[in-house]
Amino acid sequence: MMEQTYPYKPQAGAVKLTMLLGGVVFLLMMVFGLALRATQGGLFEIDPAIFYQIMTAHGAGMVGSAALTGAAIMWYFVGRYVNLNAAIYWVFLGLFLIGVALILGSIFYGEFGGGWTFLFPLPAISGGAWDVEAAVAFCFGYLFIGVGFLLIYLDMGYRIAINYDGFLGGLGWRFAWSGNQELAPPPTIIAAASVIVFNSIGIVFGAMVLVASIINLLFPSFVVDPLMAKNAIYFFGHVFINATIYMAVVAVYEIIPEYTGKPWKTTRVFALAWVAIVIFVQAVYFHHLLQDAVMPDWALALGQIVSYASGIPLMAVTTFSLCVYVKGSGLKWDLTSSLLVLGVAGWTLGSIPATIDGMVAVNRLMHNTQWVPGHFHTYLLLGEVAMAFGFSAWLVRGKEQGIRSGLERFAFLSYALGGAGFVLVFLWSGASSIPRRWAIHLESWQFQDRIGTFFAAVAILGSLLIVSRYTLRLMRKGEE
Amino acid sequence: MTIVLAAGLFALAAITQIWVAADPVIHVLVQFPLLGLSGYLLGRDRFIPGHWVGPALTLAIFFFLFWMLPRSVDEALANWQMHVVKFITLPLGTGLPLALSWKYLPPVLKGFLKAQCITMFGVLGFLYTHAPVRICNSYLVDDQIRLGYGFFYVACGLSIFWTIPVFTGRQTQVRRALQGTHLS
Repeated sequence: MMEQTYPYKPQAGAVKLTMLLGGVVFLLMMVFGLALRATQGGLFEIDPAIFYQIMTAHGAGMVGSAALTGAAIMWYFVGRYVNLNAAIYWVFLGLFLIGVALILGSIFYGEFGGGWTFLFPLPAISGGAWDVEAAVAFCFGYLFIGVGFLLIYLDMGYRIAINYDGFLGGLGWRFAWSGNQELAPPPTIIAAASVIVFNSIGIVFGAMVLVASIINLLFPSFVVDPLMAKNAIYFFGHVFINATIYMAVVAVYEIIPEYTGKPWKTTRVFALAWVAIVIFVQAVYFHHLLQDAVMPDWALALGQIVSYASGIPLMAVTTFSLCVYVKGSGLKWDLTSSLLVLGVAGWTLGSIPATIDGMVAVNRLMHNTQWVPGHFHTYLLLGEVAMAFGFSAWLVRGKEQGIRSGLERFAFLSYALGGAGFVLVFLWSGASSIPRRWAIHLESWQFQDRIGTFFAAVAILGSLLIVSRYTLRLMRKGEE
Repeated sequence: MTIVLAAGLFALAAITQIWVAADPVIHVLVQFPLLGLSGYLLGRDRFIPGHWVGPALTLAIFFFLFWMLPRSVDEALANWQMHVVKFITLPLGTGLPLALSWKYLPPVLKGFLKAQCITMFGVLGFLYTHAPVRICNSYLVDDQIRLGYGFFYVACGLSIFWTIPVFTGRQTQVRRALQGTHLS
């Protein structure tokens, strides 16, 4: 194993606690997801109103835990290169938990079931399913989480600007422009600076539309332009969920070199790829609006073209580099390395159905089918979550690093195969035109729903073992 | 020199009083900032004990929020007492305490306040352009919408103005700024 020294010591305690919280919430949300699929498959009955509440909790909870674990990973590794303020992280965690409490309260006490995307004007026109107060509490929950993210981004951004000659230096743009290797920041800093830029912009748009929605909920005569609101929501939503993976991939850049013995280098191509990511991840959001015929043609065309382009930096740089680093390195497959490599594979493979759905002609047919949850579950369940689990396993690693026990092998295989089966059934169902987000399914769709439920249960078993292992090791380390 | 400049800005703000009753953009986006800036200049090179930083910042935020209220804007046109209060509190209640406290604030809090300021201008822009009623009784709906767009432009301008130095700032410059704030 390669040992490298860094200028600063990361804030391990708070990050370990975060990963525990994230792991437990992931598990709980997976059980919610299992309940949704089982209900669609007719295996048991849930009242449709409760189905949509659980669906909202599943969506918001998964996005929230992915963002939380991604932020923890990024904070941990950025803390190796710059001196971060530990208090800011605790404030972030506190704000995040306040936000979670508001969101859960709005759903399970206030009966809010408008989906994690809170698409205007649905929160305001529930038809009596939930009160305005519940929708307001849901929006405030998001605002608290957004403020927390802005705080940690401010601290990381400020420290990066100080240490790397301004943000242009931290982003690697000075290096990309000049090719001067002395100006090259570590890959982690480039990734973190890039995420800070595009996700801060996304959160600002999210905050703007959330405040507008809250005002509309409280004073309905303040009417928001629905198309403007949809643009702002999908810009925020797209950027935010993608940022979770871009934050988590830092774990791959930092941990895999310990296994391969080769440091992850900042090359000019790497820096340029991240320049492209900063632009593409924002410009591509139009592909969520391909069914909105009132959108300008150029916007929809841009959505399709950038959808093609946005997979290139990912595949050409992170995936290709990973293959090059791993090949011939004698990498030992333990739980950490297996999950991190799975994370990159899932992310890469998930971008393929996403790109297909980003084509106007396909989207016209597939947008409201299970193809869509198929692609985002691929790069979240087999991508971000796998990276987060891999990072957690690395955090509690012992001297046996590089060795995989029988139980660990079983946990990994059930997670990977269960997850793969689960997303493939979603994609198959989408290709069969089975709609998404429907609480009640026709009998002819339920065969696929039941297979999906089975694979979900297998993936949950794997997750349970991975999270339990992490918790036990954390407790054992705490006793030591 | 600074006092002369502050006095000059205050005088300029006083001159704009001729147009404030007719145009909310001049009232809120020209006169208010001029008054605040004149107070800011007075406090820029002055220092206060550390335990005064919190109260000074709180005072500045209080009056900043107070003058964001449409009711306050209306009152400043409707009666002379509020007129006087405006000319006292914007320079001495907002600009001056902000300048006195700003140099002591940690960078993350500064960034947070800037982000909050941009967001609030955005929210005001939304309110003034979407309100189904006249928010200020003293101004017409068209003027209100114009002011709303003005808030949006200010939000965009401040975003650019505050972001560019972060991107281009050189290490030495930032360190020098840090030393100036007694935080390094």
